[in-house]
Amino acid sequence: MLTALRAGDEHAFRLLVERHYPMMRRMARGYVQTDAVAEEVVQDTWLAVVTGIERFEGRSSLTTWLCSILTNKAKTRGTRERRTLPFSCLGDGNTNEPAVDGDRFQGDEDTWPGHWATPPRPWQKPEHRLLSLEARGRLREALEELPARQRLVVTLRDVEGLRSEEVCDLLDISAENQRVLLHRGRSRLRGTLEDYVEQA
Amino acid sequence: MGPGVTNNLTADEITCRELVELVTSYLEGALDEPTLNQVEEHLVMCDWCVTYVEQVQATVDALATLPPEPVPGRLLDALSAALGEARDRRRESR
Repeated sequence: MLTALRAGDEHAFRLLVERHYPMMRRMARGYVQTDAVAEEVVQDTWLAVVTGIERFEGRSSLTTWLCSILTNKAKTRGTRERRTLPFSCLGDGNTNEPAVDGDRFQGDEDTWPGHWATPPRPWQKPEHRLLSLEARGRLREALEELPARQRLVVTLRDVEGLRSEEVCDLLDISAENQRVLLHRGRSRLRGTLEDYVEQA
Repeated sequence: MGPGVTNNLTADEITCRELVELVTSYLEGALDEPTLNQVEEHLVMCDWCVTYVEQVQATVDALATLPPEPVPGRLLDALSAALGEARDRRRESR
């Protein structure tokens, strides 16, 4: 793949763009104000990749390298617009939000306080249902609706498959902070899929 | 309630409500040993929480296979043009 990219192979580049475009758009959108500017940032990033790929030494993964170029471009662009917010000020959502609605657990007056009152039901044949295009489409919508920081962390970790250290470096956050954001995001998305499966 | 026992639980047991908040740290391998033991002991006893952990894992797996999004034609055109220029530059430098 890297050899094809270094040779300027258009097909290889297209595959890479298609694979990473959603993540890059989502990431850029975290730093700039409009979808249109986010798209420009993604485009600038790819132009920088085309001219810089020969210098890419493979010390980090290609995805991490892409993300670091994108983050730099997005920050520069955001600063120029003077309307950007640093990652630490992006929407966090309510960090005290429980992973599961408190109503679903037994209360202090019940027999087993803190244990399930309305337990989760197994998702029958998850391999069928969750991989159905409709379910994954719903999941993607729910991902877009997450608070910005949760969305970025879940995208980088679970959609793109980066390691937690890589995500901490890219976003300049602590491991603990990263885990909290991942937890909130994943918990909410599980809830979305649960609603979907229960209604289906 | 006897000493060391709260809410029908011994002091070192955790509730389902607590477990769902530990799932990510559990899957990340980030729990300290005493807490890890508590989580694992709970999971041995509680099929509902096993189901919950499976659902979180299924969600993570589904995120890795999200349907593709169309890439804007503008971006592909710009990419194509940049690759053409890069080819020309390489040819000239040869």
